[in-house]
Amino acid sequence: MENPYLNNFRNFFTRKRLRLFLLSLALLLSGFALYLDISVRMQFEGKRWAMPARVYARPVELYSGMKLRPEQLAMELAMLDYRAVDDPQTPGSYRRQGDEFTIITRPFTFWDESQASLPLQADFNGVRLSALTNRATGKPVTLARLDPVLIGGIYPAHNEDRVLVKFDEIPPHLIKGLIAIEDRQFYTHHGFSARGTARALVSILSGGGVQGGSTLTQQLVKNFFLTPERTLRRKFTEVMMSMLLELHYSKDEILEAYANEIYVGQDSNRAIHGFGLASHFYFDRPLSRLDLPQAALLVGLVKGPSHYDPRRQSARALARRNLVLQEMRKMDFITQAQYIAARSTPLGVVEKAPEGTSLYPAFVELVHRQLRRDYREEDLRSEGLQIFTTLDPLVQTSAERALTVRLSQLERDRRIPPRTLEGAVVVSHSQNGEVQALVGGRNTRFEGFNRALDATRPIGSLIKPVIYLTALERPDSYTLATLLDDSPLVWRERGTSDWEPQNYDKEFHGKVPLRVALANSYNVSTARLGLALGVRQVMENAHRLGVERDLNFYASSLLGADSLSPLEVTQMYQAFASGGFRVPLRAIREVLMSDGQPLQRYPLSVEQVIEPGPAYLVTHALQMVVQEGTADALKRYLSPDLRLAGKTGTTNDLRDSWFAGYTGDRLAVVWVGRDDNQPINITGAGGAMTVWGEMMARLDPDPLTPPMPENIEMIQVDSVTGLRADGGCQGSVELPFIRGSGPTEAAPCAAHAPARSLKSWFERLFE
Amino acid sequence: MKKQFSKILFFIASVFLTSCAGFLPAPEDQPVSDNSAVVALMDTARADIAKGNLDAAVAPLERALRIEPHNALLWQGLSKLRLQQGQYQQAEGLAARSNGWAGSNKALRAENWRIIGEARLKRGDHQGAQAAFDKAATQRN
Repeated sequence: MENPYLNNFRNFFTRKRLRLFLLSLALLLSGFALYLDISVRMQFEGKRWAMPARVYARPVELYSGMKLRPEQLAMELAMLDYRAVDDPQTPGSYRRQGDEFTIITRPFTFWDESQASLPLQADFNGVRLSALTNRATGKPVTLARLDPVLIGGIYPAHNEDRVLVKFDEIPPHLIKGLIAIEDRQFYTHHGFSARGTARALVSILSGGGVQGGSTLTQQLVKNFFLTPERTLRRKFTEVMMSMLLELHYSKDEILEAYANEIYVGQDSNRAIHGFGLASHFYFDRPLSRLDLPQAALLVGLVKGPSHYDPRRQSARALARRNLVLQEMRKMDFITQAQYIAARSTPLGVVEKAPEGTSLYPAFVELVHRQLRRDYREEDLRSEGLQIFTTLDPLVQTSAERALTVRLSQLERDRRIPPRTLEGAVVVSHSQNGEVQALVGGRNTRFEGFNRALDATRPIGSLIKPVIYLTALERPDSYTLATLLDDSPLVWRERGTSDWEPQNYDKEFHGKVPLRVALANSYNVSTARLGLALGVRQVMENAHRLGVERDLNFYASSLLGADSLSPLEVTQMYQAFASGGFRVPLRAIREVLMSDGQPLQRYPLSVEQVIEPGPAYLVTHALQMVVQEGTADALKRYLSPDLRLAGKTGTTNDLRDSWFAGYTGDRLAVVWVGRDDNQPINITGAGGAMTVWGEMMARLDPDPLTPPMPENIEMIQVDSVTGLRADGGCQGSVELPFIRGSGPTEAAPCAAHAPARSLKSWFERLFE
Repeated sequence: MKKQFSKILFFIASVFLTSCAGFLPAPEDQPVSDNSAVVALMDTARADIAKGNLDAAVAPLERALRIEPHNALLWQGLSKLRLQQGQYQQAEGLAARSNGWAGSNKALRAENWRIIGEARLKRGDHQGAQAAFDKAATQRN
């Protein structure tokens, strides 16, 4: 006899058990899902928010009448990867016919305005842009900017080997290519494709491992979290994670992560992850600048970077790229014309993977250092800031070429072992202190030792203008015509050995006019002058001009025993080049947030540190260095009509060769020497000056015509005695004097000269 | 006596300041440049100032100065802007730059010395201000 109670109980019990079982399973599953969900989100957010700062060169400002040669514009457009086409229609394309350019500019958001794409026509007349016209309206364009060249990034520390990109920097072609060849349903599926997954399951169950059938989302998940095992459990996790990703993030966000994560190459022991780095690795250019065939090649590599390696397996790579193009054509993503043109393009991969991702690592380092003063390192590496710098790629290219070409030439000419000479160049705008170029060494792509910033070397005669400035600031005692004493000198100072400066030519020159002593860089008369003025006074003036490093007050400091970096020398000479102002050297103009919101400007700032009169006299004296002094060989490179100013520097035993000089528009400092500080047996004029001349000759410098201050008057003087001359004097010169400081006495050659012999005049002078 | 003197100075200075409330040269004055790009940038700066947006006016002025670094009027424009923004040290430096490029333009020089005087006054340097105002006065003959 059945007990109904028992039955009920049993029924109840089994049902309860089943319920419990189901409940625990659900709990377990949702726990697992929750765990996956958390880890998916943590992974994704962590990767997603670290956006490097992007560093841009200065944008080119185009206006009618500007100094610009057609080839310079062509070079800028090449650096920006504008495409040369027959009929430019799309932004980023142009046509050149002789000296006439048609350019469709890319739209760009600058600090002060957003500029839409413009159809420009630019005509040239020699070294000037003669007309700028809007092709659509036919009206003249007053002023337009090209977008700036991207010159590097400041990357997250744990991601040193990534070049992270934002979604809007991914070329549309690349996205379309990915969709055409990897995942056609990407925009409609929910993270996995049922058919693909079913295929994979069948293949796993029949022992064939997982075969294909992965959506882009699944590929991303695999790259993110999973080891390459092929099991059912793994496939299940992968599908779950893909669905969770799709739940939390938009398709564009997923694509962005994919583009930054996917494995597309191998550089010996370094894996190339992400299209951003791959673009530099294969094409040596930023991703946003890839054209259709290049983008198609990168997409093709996803399937197997080593199998399709374009450097080693170029035929395979070409076939794969063309298959991607074919699929894109099938989907109607590209036109037949685009397809045919892209198919026939060579791979275009650079032979050797570049050393770094920046063309100008030395300059980017200067930018990075200036930014560190104002921003936290982690913000620089993760907030996606846009840094607009002062770098002028045209000037930078000239500086790099001049340095590399001249150093090789010097080694050949002087039988110096090849690759032993090193050098550095800094170029700034003479009026506003913007750093236009910075070369840290011969290997311009090297991201290591930056000589322009960190090679501190004795500056030799480059200190001399500071001594002469100190003198000329005392017009009652010193003028350009004052006679200095260049006779043997022994200087005894407690605590140091006797100091007996020598001239470079090992001679003593007796009485020499002050301007001549500087022009010929005489050591002995300069040392005597410096001692008379006071070493401390001279060195404090160097600080006043902008040198921040501590300097010594020894007599040897007067001949440049103290060491400075090329950048510090530039800061010091900036005061002369600007006509007496301390203008802090700047490498940055503006910083924008990742969304284009203005964040910070680095404004032009000036402070007068030299009175206009003495500043004018020093520049005049430095012009004489080039006209008739140690730098007169500069005329091999540049016309004397430019009236350039400069100073050579050579240190003991010819270890360092320096030249600092300025034109009407630029100041540049060049150092040449060896890293191990061994003698190079080259003077300032023989080495650094030739680099300077070679570089400036390419840059069409403005003549140097400093405005004459109110308190300066020109007086004709006898070049020997420095006394007042007239028409009857042979070899007289016209010199500037601070009003009231000029000679009053007539020279012996002048008509009104007192009847006294020259000798007695000299004797009187030194009684 | 001295106190009274600086009061007078202050009065002169404030008259000078209110008289150039639209402190960039107006378009109908002498044109700032014969380069239309520079004129356009100056117009932009003027429009920013008219809207009371002094900070925004700095960028177009600096752009103009990159095109014409020897233009005394542009240096002066930036100098007046800095004076208005209360950056007195910068105003003084920029006015001195303007003087460097002023050539024979005495009116421009006088104006620069007045800016320098004003900037010094604001920084509490009464003696320096007096010297600058004196220089402004000597420019007229």
